Amino acid sequence: MPEGSAALQLQVGDRVVYPNQGVCRVAAIDVKEVAGQSLTFVTMRREEDGAVVMVPQGKIISIGVRKVASPADVEEIYAFLRSDSDKADLDWKQRARTNLDRMTQGGILGLAEVVKGLQVLSELRPLPTKERELYDNARHLLVSEVAAALGTAEANAEDSIDIVLFPPGKERPKRTAAEFARPGGDEDDMDLDGDLMGLEGGELDLPSDEEPPAEPEEESSEEGAEEEGGEEAAEDAPKKRGRPPKAKPDEGAEPAAPKKRGRPPKPKPEVVAAEGAEPAAPKKRGRPPKAKPPEGDTPAEPAAPKKRGRPPKAKPAEDE
Amino acid sequence: MIRVVTLDPFDDKQLAKFNRTLYTAFGVGSEHSGSAEVPAGMSEPLDAEKLLDEVKGIRAYKDDKVLLLTSRKLKDRDLPSGKAPTSGFARYGKDRAVLTIAPFKDLETGYKAIARHALHQLGTLWELHHCLDPRCSMYPPWTPSFNQGDHIFCTFCREKSEQKIRLAKS
Repeated sequence: MPEGSAALQLQVGDRVVYPNQGVCRVAAIDVKEVAGQSLTFVTMRREEDGAVVMVPQGKIISIGVRKVASPADVEEIYAFLRSDSDKADLDWKQRARTNLDRMTQGGILGLAEVVKGLQVLSELRPLPTKERELYDNARHLLVSEVAAALGTAEANAEDSIDIVLFPPGKERPKRTAAEFARPGGDEDDMDLDGDLMGLEGGELDLPSDEEPPAEPEEESSEEGAEEEGGEEAAEDAPKKRGRPPKAKPDEGAEPAAPKKRGRPPKPKPEVVAAEGAEPAAPKKRGRPPKAKPPEGDTPAEPAAPKKRGRPPKAKPAEDE
Repeated sequence: MIRVVTLDPFDDKQLAKFNRTLYTAFGVGSEHSGSAEVPAGMSEPLDAEKLLDEVKGIRAYKDDKVLLLTSRKLKDRDLPSGKAPTSGFARYGKDRAVLTIAPFKDLETGYKAIARHALHQLGTLWELHHCLDPRCSMYPPWTPSFNQGDHIFCTFCREKSEQKIRLAKS
Protein backbone atom coordinates (compact mmCIF):
# COMPACT_ATOMS: atom_id res chain seq x y z
CA MET A 1 0.00 0.00 0.00
CA PRO A 2 1.36 3.42 -0.82
CA GLU A 3 2.78 5.39 2.04
CA GLY A 4 0.46 7.84 3.75
CA SER A 5 -2.75 6.47 2.29
CA ALA A 6 -3.93 4.16 5.08
CA ALA A 7 -6.77 6.42 6.15
CA LEU A 8 -7.35 9.21 3.69
CA GLN A 9 -10.02 11.73 4.54
CA LEU A 10 -10.16 14.26 1.78
CA GLN A 11 -11.80 17.66 1.83
CA VAL A 12 -12.22 20.28 -0.84
CA GLY A 13 -9.03 22.37 -1.05
CA ASP A 14 -6.70 19.62 0.16
CA ARG A 15 -3.46 19.13 -1.71
CA VAL A 16 -2.84 15.56 -2.75
CA VAL A 17 -0.32 13.70 -4.87
CA TYR A 18 -1.61 11.55 -7.72
CA PRO A 19 0.98 8.90 -8.70
CA ASN A 20 2.83 9.73 -11.90
CA GLN A 21 0.83 12.97 -12.30
CA GLY A 22 2.03 15.23 -9.53
CA VAL A 23 0.50 17.57 -7.02
CA CYS A 24 -3.26 18.11 -7.38
CA ARG A 25 -5.81 20.08 -5.43
CA VAL A 26 -9.17 18.57 -4.53
CA ALA A 27 -11.69 20.71 -6.39
CA ALA A 28 -14.94 18.97 -5.49
CA ILE A 29 -16.40 15.88 -3.85
CA ASP A 30 -19.85 15.12 -5.21
CA VAL A 31 -22.25 12.29 -5.87
CA LYS A 32 -23.00 11.35 -9.46
CA GLU A 33 -25.20 8.73 -10.98
CA VAL A 34 -23.37 6.44 -13.36
CA ALA A 35 -25.11 3.47 -15.01
CA GLY A 36 -27.85 3.51 -12.42
CA GLN A 37 -25.47 3.62 -9.47
CA SER A 38 -24.81 6.64 -7.35
CA LEU A 39 -21.09 7.03 -6.74
CA THR A 40 -19.08 9.62 -4.85
CA PHE A 41 -16.45 11.18 -7.06
CA VAL A 42 -13.44 13.17 -5.99
CA THR A 43 -12.53 15.80 -8.58
CA MET A 44 -8.88 16.81 -8.57
CA ARG A 45 -7.18 19.54 -10.54
CA ARG A 46 -3.49 19.25 -11.30
CA GLU A 47 -1.70 22.36 -10.08
CA GLU A 48 0.86 22.36 -12.86
CA ASP A 49 -1.48 22.77 -15.80
CA GLY A 50 -5.04 22.59 -14.45
CA ALA A 51 -5.85 19.15 -15.87
CA VAL A 52 -8.91 17.65 -14.17
CA VAL A 53 -9.33 14.05 -13.08
CA MET A 54 -12.36 12.45 -11.38
CA VAL A 55 -11.84 9.36 -9.28
CA PRO A 56 -14.48 7.30 -7.42
CA GLN A 57 -13.87 7.69 -3.72
CA GLY A 58 -13.58 3.95 -3.27
CA LYS A 59 -10.63 3.82 -5.67
CA ILE A 60 -8.63 6.65 -4.13
CA ILE A 61 -6.48 4.44 -1.93
CA SER A 62 -5.96 1.66 -4.44
CA ILE A 63 -4.77 4.18 -7.04
CA GLY A 64 -2.22 5.50 -4.58
CA VAL A 65 -3.49 9.02 -4.09
CA ARG A 66 -2.05 10.44 -0.87
CA LYS A 67 -1.61 13.73 0.89
CA VAL A 68 1.41 15.89 0.15
CA ALA A 69 4.48 14.98 2.21
CA SER A 70 5.26 16.95 5.35
CA PRO A 71 8.46 18.98 5.91
CA ALA A 72 9.66 16.17 8.19
CA ASP A 73 9.29 13.72 5.29
CA VAL A 74 11.31 16.06 3.10
CA GLU A 75 14.09 16.10 5.71
CA GLU A 76 14.16 12.32 5.51
CA ILE A 77 14.41 12.57 1.74
CA TYR A 78 17.43 14.87 2.07
CA ALA A 79 19.04 12.40 4.46
CA PHE A 80 18.39 9.58 2.03
CA LEU A 81 19.81 11.52 -0.91
CA ARG A 82 22.86 12.45 1.14
CA SER A 83 23.61 8.82 2.00
CA ASP A 84 25.77 6.71 -0.26
CA SER A 85 23.80 3.54 0.19
CA ASP A 86 21.55 3.19 -2.81
CA LYS A 87 23.10 1.70 -5.93
CA ALA A 88 21.04 1.02 -9.00
CA ASP A 89 20.85 -2.51 -10.32
CA LEU A 90 23.17 -3.04 -13.25
CA ASP A 91 20.71 -5.44 -14.82
CA TRP A 92 18.61 -3.08 -16.93
CA LYS A 93 15.49 -5.28 -16.86
CA GLN A 94 15.50 -5.53 -13.10
CA ARG A 95 16.22 -1.82 -12.81
CA ALA A 96 13.40 -0.86 -15.17
CA ARG A 97 10.93 -3.05 -13.29
CA THR A 98 11.93 -1.65 -9.92
CA ASN A 99 11.79 1.93 -11.10
CA LEU A 100 8.41 1.43 -12.74
CA ASP A 101 7.04 -0.01 -9.50
CA ARG A 102 8.37 2.95 -7.54
CA MET A 103 6.81 5.42 -9.94
CA THR A 104 3.46 3.65 -9.95
CA GLN A 105 3.27 3.47 -6.18
CA GLY A 106 3.81 7.21 -6.08
CA GLY A 107 5.55 7.56 -2.71
CA ILE A 108 7.96 10.44 -2.28
CA LEU A 109 10.66 8.06 -1.09
CA GLY A 110 10.16 5.98 -4.24
CA LEU A 111 10.69 9.08 -6.37
CA ALA A 112 13.84 9.93 -4.45
CA GLU A 113 15.08 6.36 -4.93
CA VAL A 114 14.59 6.59 -8.69
CA VAL A 115 16.38 9.94 -8.86
CA LYS A 116 19.24 8.86 -6.64
CA GLY A 117 19.66 5.47 -8.31
CA LEU A 118 19.81 6.88 -11.82
CA GLN A 119 22.01 9.77 -10.76
CA VAL A 120 24.54 7.37 -9.25
CA LEU A 121 24.31 5.15 -12.32
CA SER A 122 25.06 8.16 -14.54
CA GLU A 123 28.36 8.49 -12.71
CA LEU A 124 29.28 5.11 -14.16
CA ARG A 125 27.98 5.64 -17.70
CA PRO A 126 25.59 7.96 -19.54
CA LEU A 127 21.94 7.04 -19.19
CA PRO A 128 20.07 5.68 -22.21
CA THR A 129 17.27 7.84 -23.58
CA LYS A 130 14.40 6.05 -21.88
CA GLU A 131 16.05 6.19 -18.49
CA ARG A 132 16.98 9.82 -19.04
CA GLU A 133 13.29 10.54 -19.61
CA LEU A 134 12.37 8.53 -16.54
CA TYR A 135 14.94 10.45 -14.52
CA ASP A 136 13.50 13.73 -15.73
CA ASN A 137 9.94 12.66 -14.89
CA ALA A 138 10.90 11.45 -11.43
CA ARG A 139 12.88 14.62 -10.78
CA HIS A 140 9.96 16.78 -11.91
CA LEU A 141 7.53 14.98 -9.60
CA LEU A 142 9.97 15.10 -6.69
CA VAL A 143 10.70 18.79 -7.16
CA SER A 144 7.03 19.74 -7.37
CA GLU A 145 6.20 17.76 -4.25
CA VAL A 146 9.12 19.17 -2.27
CA ALA A 147 8.08 22.66 -3.37
CA ALA A 148 4.51 21.97 -2.25
CA ALA A 149 5.64 20.48 1.05
CA LEU A 150 7.96 23.36 1.92
CA GLY A 151 5.80 26.07 0.37
CA THR A 152 8.68 27.39 -1.69
CA ALA A 153 9.39 28.06 -5.36
CA GLU A 154 10.16 25.08 -7.54
CA ALA A 155 13.56 26.49 -8.47
CA ASN A 156 14.46 26.63 -4.77
CA ALA A 157 13.16 23.12 -4.22
CA GLU A 158 15.26 21.80 -7.07
CA ASP A 159 18.35 23.61 -5.84
CA SER A 160 17.81 22.24 -2.34
CA ILE A 161 17.73 18.72 -3.75
CA ASP A 162 20.75 19.28 -5.94
CA ILE A 163 22.82 20.82 -3.18
CA VAL A 164 22.59 17.40 -1.59
CA LEU A 165 23.18 15.44 -4.79
CA PHE A 166 25.88 17.76 -6.18
CA PRO A 167 27.53 19.39 -3.14
CA PRO A 168 29.03 22.83 -3.94
CA GLY A 169 32.75 22.82 -4.63
CA LYS A 170 32.88 19.10 -5.37
CA GLU A 171 32.94 17.28 -8.66
CA ARG A 172 30.91 14.12 -9.03
CA PRO A 173 32.91 10.98 -8.38
CA LYS A 174 33.66 8.50 -11.14
CA ARG A 175 32.12 5.14 -10.37
CA THR A 176 33.31 1.71 -11.34
CA ALA A 177 31.21 -1.36 -12.11
CA ALA A 178 32.70 -3.06 -9.04
CA GLU A 179 30.88 -0.59 -6.78
CA PHE A 180 27.56 -1.76 -8.15
CA ALA A 181 28.25 -5.46 -7.57
CA ARG A 182 25.81 -6.96 -5.11
CA PRO A 183 27.36 -9.24 -2.49
CA GLY A 184 25.91 -12.75 -2.65
CA GLY A 185 23.89 -11.92 -5.71
CA ASP A 186 23.69 -13.84 -8.95
CA GLU A 187 26.26 -13.53 -11.64
CA ASP A 188 26.26 -10.08 -13.03
CA ASP A 189 25.79 -10.28 -16.74
CA MET A 190 26.77 -6.65 -17.18
CA ASP A 191 30.16 -7.04 -15.56
CA LEU A 192 32.39 -6.48 -18.51
CA ASP A 193 35.53 -7.33 -16.61
CA GLY A 194 34.39 -10.88 -16.11
CA ASP A 195 34.45 -13.83 -18.43
CA LEU A 196 31.50 -13.04 -20.68
CA MET A 197 31.24 -16.21 -22.74
CA GLY A 198 33.48 -18.51 -20.83
CA LEU A 199 36.30 -17.74 -23.22
CA GLU A 200 38.89 -17.33 -20.54
CA GLY A 201 38.33 -20.68 -18.92
CA GLY A 202 39.57 -23.91 -20.38
CA GLU A 203 36.14 -25.00 -21.48
CA LEU A 204 36.56 -24.44 -25.17
CA ASP A 205 39.86 -26.31 -25.38
CA LEU A 206 41.07 -24.60 -28.47
CA PRO A 207 43.82 -26.56 -30.20
CA SER A 208 47.18 -25.33 -29.15
CA ASP A 209 50.44 -25.45 -31.00
CA GLU A 210 52.06 -27.40 -28.24
CA GLU A 211 51.59 -31.12 -28.10
CA PRO A 212 49.41 -32.41 -25.30
CA PRO A 213 51.18 -34.14 -22.41
CA ALA A 214 51.62 -37.89 -22.84
CA GLU A 215 49.24 -39.63 -20.42
CA PRO A 216 47.54 -42.23 -22.57
CA GLU A 217 46.83 -44.85 -19.91
CA GLU A 218 45.50 -42.52 -17.29
CA GLU A 219 43.32 -40.82 -19.80
CA SER A 220 41.85 -44.03 -21.08
CA SER A 221 41.24 -45.31 -17.56
CA GLU A 222 39.58 -42.08 -16.62
CA GLU A 223 37.42 -42.22 -19.68
CA GLY A 224 36.43 -45.77 -18.84
CA ALA A 225 35.58 -44.78 -15.33
CA GLU A 226 33.54 -41.92 -16.59
CA GLU A 227 31.67 -44.21 -18.91
CA GLU A 228 30.95 -46.69 -16.15
CA GLY A 229 29.89 -44.36 -13.44
CA GLY A 230 29.09 -41.40 -15.58
CA GLU A 231 25.62 -40.84 -14.28
CA GLU A 232 26.64 -41.19 -10.65
CA ALA A 233 29.53 -38.84 -11.14
CA ALA A 234 27.26 -36.39 -12.85
CA GLU A 235 24.89 -36.45 -9.91
CA ASP A 236 27.63 -36.05 -7.36
CA ALA A 237 29.58 -33.34 -9.11
CA PRO A 238 28.27 -29.79 -8.94
CA LYS A 239 26.56 -28.81 -12.14
CA LYS A 240 28.59 -26.58 -14.36
CA ARG A 241 26.93 -23.85 -16.29
CA GLY A 242 27.40 -23.32 -19.96
CA ARG A 243 28.59 -25.55 -22.73
CA PRO A 244 30.03 -28.91 -21.67
CA PRO A 245 33.75 -29.33 -22.33
CA LYS A 246 34.72 -31.09 -25.51
CA ALA A 247 36.39 -34.44 -25.41
CA LYS A 248 40.12 -34.14 -25.70
CA PRO A 249 41.65 -35.67 -28.83
CA ASP A 250 43.72 -38.81 -28.49
CA GLU A 251 47.45 -38.51 -28.42
CA GLY A 252 49.08 -38.89 -31.73
CA ALA A 253 46.03 -37.87 -33.62
CA GLU A 254 46.33 -34.68 -35.57
CA PRO A 255 44.86 -31.74 -33.81
CA ALA A 256 41.44 -31.01 -35.21
CA ALA A 257 41.27 -28.02 -37.48
CA PRO A 258 39.56 -25.06 -35.86
CA LYS A 259 35.84 -25.13 -36.55
CA LYS A 260 34.78 -22.68 -39.19
CA ARG A 261 31.76 -20.60 -38.50
CA GLY A 262 28.91 -19.92 -40.87
CA ARG A 263 27.11 -22.07 -43.44
CA PRO A 264 28.90 -25.32 -44.29
CA PRO A 265 30.13 -25.56 -47.91
CA LYS A 266 27.93 -27.43 -50.42
CA PRO A 267 28.93 -31.05 -50.99
CA LYS A 268 30.83 -31.48 -54.23
CA PRO A 269 29.19 -33.75 -56.85
CA GLU A 270 30.71 -37.18 -56.99
CA VAL A 271 33.16 -37.63 -59.81
CA VAL A 272 31.68 -40.27 -62.12
CA ALA A 273 33.74 -39.72 -65.20
CA ALA A 274 37.12 -41.15 -65.65
CA GLU A 275 40.16 -39.28 -64.63
CA GLY A 276 41.08 -38.39 -68.20
CA ALA A 277 37.71 -36.87 -68.99
CA GLU A 278 37.46 -33.12 -69.30
CA PRO A 279 35.99 -31.39 -66.37
CA ALA A 280 32.39 -30.30 -66.83
CA ALA A 281 32.01 -26.75 -68.08
CA PRO A 282 30.64 -24.41 -65.50
CA LYS A 283 26.90 -23.91 -65.77
CA LYS A 284 25.97 -20.70 -67.52
CA ARG A 285 23.16 -18.70 -66.11
CA GLY A 286 20.30 -17.20 -68.08
CA ARG A 287 18.39 -18.31 -71.22
CA PRO A 288 20.04 -21.13 -73.17
CA PRO A 289 21.31 -20.12 -76.65
CA LYS A 290 19.20 -21.03 -79.71
CA ALA A 291 20.16 -24.14 -81.56
CA LYS A 292 22.36 -23.36 -84.59
CA PRO A 293 21.38 -24.83 -87.97
CA PRO A 294 23.56 -27.69 -89.19
CA GLU A 295 26.68 -26.48 -91.00
CA GLY A 296 26.44 -28.84 -94.00
CA ASP A 297 23.15 -27.43 -95.30
CA THR A 298 22.97 -24.31 -97.46
CA PRO A 299 22.35 -21.36 -95.35
CA ALA A 300 18.65 -20.54 -95.41
CA GLU A 301 17.60 -16.99 -96.24
CA PRO A 302 17.02 -15.06 -93.15
CA ALA A 303 13.35 -14.75 -92.38
CA ALA A 304 11.89 -11.34 -93.12
CA PRO A 305 11.27 -9.39 -89.96
CA LYS A 306 7.71 -9.61 -88.77
CA LYS A 307 5.73 -6.52 -89.56
CA ARG A 308 3.55 -5.19 -86.88
CA GLY A 309 0.01 -3.91 -87.31
CA ARG A 310 -2.84 -4.92 -89.58
CA PRO A 311 -1.89 -7.16 -92.52
CA PRO A 312 -2.25 -5.43 -95.96
CA LYS A 313 -5.46 -5.99 -97.88
CA ALA A 314 -5.38 -8.62 -100.53
CA LYS A 315 -5.05 -7.00 -104.03
CA PRO A 316 -7.87 -7.72 -106.50
CA ALA A 317 -7.07 -10.08 -109.32
CA GLU A 318 -5.63 -8.31 -112.44
CA ASP A 319 -7.40 -10.61 -114.92
CA GLU A 320 -10.70 -8.79 -114.58
CA MET B 1 11.23 36.37 -27.80
CA ILE B 2 14.03 36.81 -25.27
CA ARG B 3 14.27 40.34 -23.90
CA VAL B 4 17.47 41.31 -22.14
CA VAL B 5 16.87 44.17 -19.71
CA THR B 6 19.92 45.72 -18.11
CA LEU B 7 19.95 46.97 -14.54
CA ASP B 8 23.43 48.52 -14.94
CA PRO B 9 25.26 50.07 -17.91
CA PHE B 10 26.78 47.61 -20.43
CA ASP B 11 28.61 48.00 -23.71
CA ASP B 12 26.24 47.81 -26.70
CA LYS B 13 28.54 45.68 -28.83
CA GLN B 14 28.95 43.16 -26.06
CA LEU B 15 25.22 43.08 -25.55
CA ALA B 16 24.68 42.46 -29.27
CA LYS B 17 27.10 39.54 -29.13
CA PHE B 18 25.34 38.23 -26.03
CA ASN B 19 21.98 38.38 -27.84
CA ARG B 20 23.38 36.53 -30.83
CA THR B 21 24.52 33.75 -28.50
CA LEU B 22 21.07 33.45 -26.97
CA TYR B 23 19.48 33.41 -30.42
CA THR B 24 21.81 30.60 -31.50
CA ALA B 25 21.09 28.55 -28.40
CA PHE B 26 17.30 28.75 -28.42
CA GLY B 27 16.42 29.63 -31.99
CA VAL B 28 14.16 32.51 -30.92
CA GLY B 29 14.77 36.19 -31.30
CA SER B 30 16.74 37.96 -28.61
CA GLU B 31 17.16 41.70 -28.17
CA HIS B 32 18.20 44.32 -25.70
CA SER B 33 14.92 45.85 -24.52
CA GLY B 34 16.20 48.76 -22.56
CA SER B 35 17.11 49.16 -18.94
CA ALA B 36 15.32 49.20 -15.60
CA GLU B 37 16.07 50.51 -12.14
CA VAL B 38 16.87 48.38 -9.14
CA PRO B 39 14.07 49.00 -6.61
CA ALA B 40 14.89 51.54 -3.98
CA GLY B 41 16.08 50.16 -0.68
CA MET B 42 17.82 47.12 -2.17
CA SER B 43 21.52 47.01 -1.54
CA GLU B 44 24.31 44.78 -2.77
CA PRO B 45 24.26 41.78 -2.59
CA LEU B 46 20.80 41.79 -4.14
CA ASP B 47 18.09 39.38 -3.11
CA ALA B 48 17.29 37.68 -6.42
CA GLU B 49 13.75 36.59 -5.60
CA LYS B 50 12.79 39.95 -4.22
CA LEU B 51 14.35 41.69 -7.19
CA LEU B 52 12.29 39.65 -9.65
CA ASP B 53 9.11 40.50 -7.77
CA GLU B 54 9.74 44.19 -7.29
CA VAL B 55 11.47 45.44 -10.40
CA LYS B 56 9.20 47.76 -12.39
CA GLY B 57 9.01 49.21 -15.87
CA ILE B 58 9.50 46.09 -17.96
CA ARG B 59 7.32 45.79 -21.04
CA ALA B 60 6.94 42.34 -22.54
CA TYR B 61 4.36 40.18 -24.28
CA LYS B 62 2.87 37.09 -22.72
CA ASP B 63 5.23 34.50 -24.23
CA ASP B 64 8.34 36.65 -23.87
CA LYS B 65 11.12 35.65 -21.52
CA VAL B 66 12.81 38.52 -19.73
CA LEU B 67 16.42 38.26 -18.55
CA LEU B 68 17.52 40.95 -16.12
CA LEU B 69 21.26 41.53 -16.35
CA THR B 70 23.21 43.16 -13.58
CA SER B 71 26.83 43.61 -12.61
CA ARG B 72 26.02 43.62 -8.89
CA LYS B 73 26.36 40.52 -6.77
CA LEU B 74 23.40 38.38 -5.80
CA LYS B 75 22.88 37.06 -2.30
CA ASP B 76 23.28 33.32 -1.71
CA ARG B 77 19.98 31.66 -0.92
CA ASP B 78 19.35 29.85 2.33
CA LEU B 79 17.63 26.59 1.51
CA PRO B 80 16.48 23.79 3.84
CA SER B 81 19.39 21.60 2.81
CA GLY B 82 22.08 24.29 2.78
CA LYS B 83 23.24 27.53 1.21
CA ALA B 84 22.93 27.79 -2.56
CA PRO B 85 25.56 29.89 -4.36
CA THR B 86 23.52 32.25 -6.57
CA SER B 87 24.77 33.66 -9.82
CA GLY B 88 21.27 33.89 -11.17
CA PHE B 89 17.71 32.96 -10.38
CA ALA B 90 14.68 32.02 -12.48
CA ARG B 91 11.21 30.90 -11.57
CA TYR B 92 10.49 27.52 -13.13
CA GLY B 93 8.17 27.89 -16.13
CA LYS B 94 7.60 31.61 -15.55
CA ASP B 95 8.77 34.61 -17.56
CA ARG B 96 11.50 36.39 -15.60
CA ALA B 97 15.05 35.56 -14.64
CA VAL B 98 17.93 37.54 -13.20
CA LEU B 99 21.62 37.03 -13.90
CA THR B 100 24.73 38.67 -12.51
CA ILE B 101 28.04 38.92 -14.33
CA ALA B 102 29.91 39.07 -11.01
CA PRO B 103 32.76 38.28 -10.30
CA PHE B 104 33.66 39.42 -13.86
CA LYS B 105 34.03 43.12 -14.63
CA ASP B 106 32.20 43.12 -17.94
CA LEU B 107 30.54 40.75 -20.38
CA GLU B 108 33.66 40.25 -22.47
CA THR B 109 35.94 39.16 -19.63
CA GLY B 110 33.97 36.10 -18.63
CA TYR B 111 31.88 35.73 -21.72
CA LYS B 112 31.75 31.92 -21.86
CA ALA B 113 30.79 31.50 -18.24
CA ILE B 114 28.20 34.30 -18.33
CA ALA B 115 26.61 32.93 -21.49
CA ARG B 116 26.45 29.49 -19.91
CA HIS B 117 24.74 30.90 -16.82
CA ALA B 118 22.31 32.81 -19.05
CA LEU B 119 21.39 29.62 -20.91
CA HIS B 120 20.85 27.92 -17.56
CA GLN B 121 18.45 30.58 -16.30
CA LEU B 122 16.54 30.82 -19.57
CA GLY B 123 16.35 27.01 -19.69
CA THR B 124 14.69 27.10 -16.27
CA LEU B 125 12.13 29.52 -17.66
CA TRP B 126 11.43 26.95 -20.39
CA GLU B 127 10.88 24.25 -17.74
CA LEU B 128 14.19 22.45 -18.01
CA HIS B 129 15.46 20.72 -14.90
CA HIS B 130 19.06 20.30 -13.89
CA CYS B 131 20.94 17.90 -16.11
CA LEU B 132 23.33 15.03 -15.40
CA ASP B 133 25.69 15.87 -18.24
CA PRO B 134 28.58 18.10 -17.07
CA ARG B 135 28.91 19.56 -20.60
CA CYS B 136 25.30 20.77 -20.62
CA SER B 137 24.42 24.27 -19.51
CA MET B 138 21.66 22.84 -17.31
CA TYR B 139 24.23 21.13 -15.08
CA PRO B 140 24.06 22.56 -11.52
CA PRO B 141 25.83 25.92 -11.79
CA TRP B 142 27.71 25.79 -8.48
CA THR B 143 29.90 22.86 -9.54
CA PRO B 144 33.59 23.74 -10.09
CA SER B 145 33.63 22.68 -13.75
CA PHE B 146 30.54 24.67 -14.74
CA ASN B 147 32.36 27.85 -15.73
CA GLN B 148 34.84 25.99 -17.92
CA GLY B 149 32.21 24.48 -20.21
CA ASP B 150 30.77 25.80 -23.46
CA HIS B 151 27.40 27.50 -23.69
CA ILE B 152 25.56 24.53 -25.18
CA PHE B 153 22.81 22.10 -24.23
CA CYS B 154 22.96 18.32 -24.27
CA THR B 155 20.72 16.56 -26.81
CA PHE B 156 17.99 15.84 -24.28
CA CYS B 157 17.78 19.40 -22.95
CA ARG B 158 17.99 20.93 -26.42
CA GLU B 159 15.13 18.79 -27.72
CA LYS B 160 13.05 19.50 -24.63
CA SER B 161 13.59 23.24 -24.89
CA GLU B 162 12.73 23.18 -28.60
CA GLN B 163 9.54 21.28 -27.79
CA LYS B 164 8.57 23.81 -25.12
CA ILE B 165 9.25 26.71 -27.46
CA ARG B 166 7.18 25.10 -30.21
CA LEU B 167 4.30 24.58 -27.76
CA ALA B 168 4.54 28.19 -26.63
CA LYS B 169 4.43 29.42 -30.25
CA SER B 170 1.37 27.31 -31.09
